[in-house]
Amino acid sequence: MSEQKGLEAYAEIRFLAPEECRFEESPGGLLVLHVDGERYESVAVHRAFPFTYGDDYLSVRDKEGNEIGMIKTLKVFDEQTQTLIRKELERRYFVPTITRIDRIKEEFGYGYWEVQTDRGPRRLTIRGVHESVIPIGEERVLIIDVDGNRYEIPRLSDLDPKSYKLIDQYLV
Amino acid sequence: MHTTEPIPAQVESLLNAHGVQLPSLHLLLATDMTLTGHYSESWLGVDDKYVYMISPSPSYEQNGRSAGPGASLRFETYPLADIEEVRSVNMMGNGMLVLRTKQTEFVLCRYSNTRAKQLGQFAKIVNKLAKGEALEAEDFEDPRAEVACPKCGQLYPDQNRKVCPKCVDRRSVFLRVLSFVPRYKTQIALILFFMLAGVALNALNPYIQGVILFDEVLAEDGKYHGRLVEMVFVIAGLQLVSLLTSIMHARINAQMTAEVVRDLKVEVYAAMQRLSLGFFTKRQTGSLMTRVNDDAMNLQYFFHDGLPFFIVNCLQIIAIVTVMLRLNWQLALVLLVPAPAIVWFVAKVYPKLWKIFTRRHMKNRALNAVLNDTLTGFRVVKAFGREDAEIDRFEVRNLDVYDVSLAEGRMKAILFPTMSMLMSLGGFVVWALGGAQVLTGALTFGTLMTFINYLGMLYGPLEFMTHIVDWWTHCMNAAQRIFELLDAQSDVPEAANPVRLPAIRGEVEIDNVTFEYEPNKPVLRDINLHIKPGEMIGLVGHSGAGKSTITNLISRLYDVTEGAIRIDGVDVRDASVADLRRQIGMVLQEPYLFQGSIAENIAYAKPDATPEEIILAAMMANAHYFIVNLPDGYDTVIGRRGHNLSGGERQRISIARALLHNPRILILDEATASVDTETERNIQEALERLFEGRTTIAIAHRLSTLRDADRLVVIEKGQIVEVGTHAELVKKRGVYYNLLQKQREALKIGVKIA
Repeated sequence: MSEQKGLEAYAEIRFLAPEECRFEESPGGLLVLHVDGERYESVAVHRAFPFTYGDDYLSVRDKEGNEIGMIKTLKVFDEQTQTLIRKELERRYFVPTITRIDRIKEEFGYGYWEVQTDRGPRRLTIRGVHESVIPIGEERVLIIDVDGNRYEIPRLSDLDPKSYKLIDQYLV
Repeated sequence: MHTTEPIPAQVESLLNAHGVQLPSLHLLLATDMTLTGHYSESWLGVDDKYVYMISPSPSYEQNGRSAGPGASLRFETYPLADIEEVRSVNMMGNGMLVLRTKQTEFVLCRYSNTRAKQLGQFAKIVNKLAKGEALEAEDFEDPRAEVACPKCGQLYPDQNRKVCPKCVDRRSVFLRVLSFVPRYKTQIALILFFMLAGVALNALNPYIQGVILFDEVLAEDGKYHGRLVEMVFVIAGLQLVSLLTSIMHARINAQMTAEVVRDLKVEVYAAMQRLSLGFFTKRQTGSLMTRVNDDAMNLQYFFHDGLPFFIVNCLQIIAIVTVMLRLNWQLALVLLVPAPAIVWFVAKVYPKLWKIFTRRHMKNRALNAVLNDTLTGFRVVKAFGREDAEIDRFEVRNLDVYDVSLAEGRMKAILFPTMSMLMSLGGFVVWALGGAQVLTGALTFGTLMTFINYLGMLYGPLEFMTHIVDWWTHCMNAAQRIFELLDAQSDVPEAANPVRLPAIRGEVEIDNVTFEYEPNKPVLRDINLHIKPGEMIGLVGHSGAGKSTITNLISRLYDVTEGAIRIDGVDVRDASVADLRRQIGMVLQEPYLFQGSIAENIAYAKPDATPEEIILAAMMANAHYFIVNLPDGYDTVIGRRGHNLSGGERQRISIARALLHNPRILILDEATASVDTETERNIQEALERLFEGRTTIAIAHRLSTLRDADRLVVIEKGQIVEVGTHAELVKKRGVYYNLLQKQREALKIGVKIA
């Protein structure tokens, strides 16, 4: 056996550094990336660790879904680029925050919820309970409806008493 | 014009104001989201010349309010002539339509997952119109038609589960559950009889031990004064009869319970076998297993505990209250005073206790999951030396269980004493008031004792009644889920008058096939392939290109989304499924062998095969030699606790199985991927015998395996990119050639390492 080499010796992550690339928004509202003299139209930004690292370790992909490179952390980019990429992330990861629960009606193992979100009022349908209302840690709750839409309650303790009482029955 | 929802007058008048009349539109539909990601309706329409977009004006979006009536709307048009393509981009929880013209590309609209299907359809129609293609009726097939309840038109809450909660009312489910009753009517009648007898005896007991014993036997002026021995015999006799009834009741009950569960499980299991592969892949196997087991169990409670107990408890409450009222109505009324307090307490506190029960159940399940995980994966744990980490992981879950058990214990410690205290409250009242009445002579001592005994008997049924709602919901949900399975339609239904195909020649025609597992995500696009009888086709391409999907469509494990697959000129959707399956054989990468002997496994598709046939099939599969070498030969039991076979051996058994099945069309999906080269040669030989005279479609990563194929079909990203013989494709220096080069290089590296 020869000397031990780290994994870096065999594979490489292409991290995009702020000085070598430029992000801009197209007039049509799509994200454009200039890097290595290339122009990529309509790039997508995926979170590699949506729960644990959030805005770190982002994968930037071209229209076909091939990875152009990764962003280790957004912090190293200038304000404007950060805003642009955050906007793109917000579009890709559409998870409205539930601010209030008005009503929950249950019928046949389905829950019909009427809620207020930061994106406006919404009616949603969830199936079962335990697979659809998922506590993450002590305070955060993720709700997935039958269509696969996601909603979030970032802090349970911020809910008003009535809403809390309504959701409490689902939190075992 | 097609539309799937009522059009607001405001939208219509805005269209009219721009000179667009509704009838001239091909399609008009709503999305539920604005470009900035707020919930609000926007409308999209398309006619022969333009795409129209009606959306709330920006000021409304910024406020995050939905556009109510009177909100100002923005009207935009995009000429079809400029549009090159509209594509739908699926993201997390939402998607967007991106419109591309010659000059630019922009986001036309966004939509939540709820409307993904409809918007995908819109994109398809616009693309067709932009290309100048004619629209067909099937383009407009209402994506809601299959997902809305045919009775009331309401969308199913869950598109994968076609149950309309509005139309399936609980009463009909209840009636359907009751329809199971006649099957067990003797048992249920007997159970009811013994239960009633038990109730009657129980209700009699306090009376005899109270009024009769104290007032008639022990009291000086009693009717049976002094006949104590006889009295004791009567009481003991009654207890004996009571014991006998409860034994009978329990026995019949146990028997019926077992029967109900058995019958239900068989029905559910048979229903599941009829369903298509899609049904199983959409749901986790685990949840289906729970469904068979737990739901049958839950429904069993209905017959076992629920219905009889409900009837008996109702009767018991009525009987006791009546008796008490008749004995002494004033005292009875006083007694009932604390009853509401108890009911209130139970209704308030018990749900908390149930919640803790559920929580403990969940935590226990999590603990079991860890156990199951590490015990099945113990080789990995040992190999990576992670024993300590696993102990920690277990400890975390274990601690959770401990915590919740502790909470449960504490709660019970408070709850139950409080409860019995509340219950004895009634007793105190009786002692005080009744005692006073006894002193004044208005009440006999026996009646007082009777009262107190009855009181004790009242609380059990009362407590039962407090969770009757819970129990009812539980049972009905379980029943509903079971019926849903019993009623579920296969995604690949047999045609009404299936075309019989007793002996096919093996001609396969794939005609313009598009297939998607999920809306807007085609896995195969515009596949055209004509396979002649007896031809051997090799499907080549990267993993995930859609090769296996093609074979799944040919054997009709799924149905095409668009286009058609014809075997001998007959659309597989019109053909008899049984005929089809009988003549299509599959050998898969991971050969699944069922528990049973090798002979049984080989004869799986032909249970009446003779030993000679089994041996011949094994010989052709190069399996005979190793099988006979096994101590138990063809009777060797495989599977759990059975003999362990190597990958190549299992594979050869599965080939023998396919050989005995003698299909006209043979599908090999990576049949030799998991075996070494020596074994592969062995299997290859066997396969060549298998190919003769049959249409063969083979998928293999090792391209060398497919050299002898009549034609190779190269698939990339769901489309056919190259077709030809090995030699032709090598000459062409295209995709196949590249794949080949890469594999050769990989092989060279392999040699170097060795």
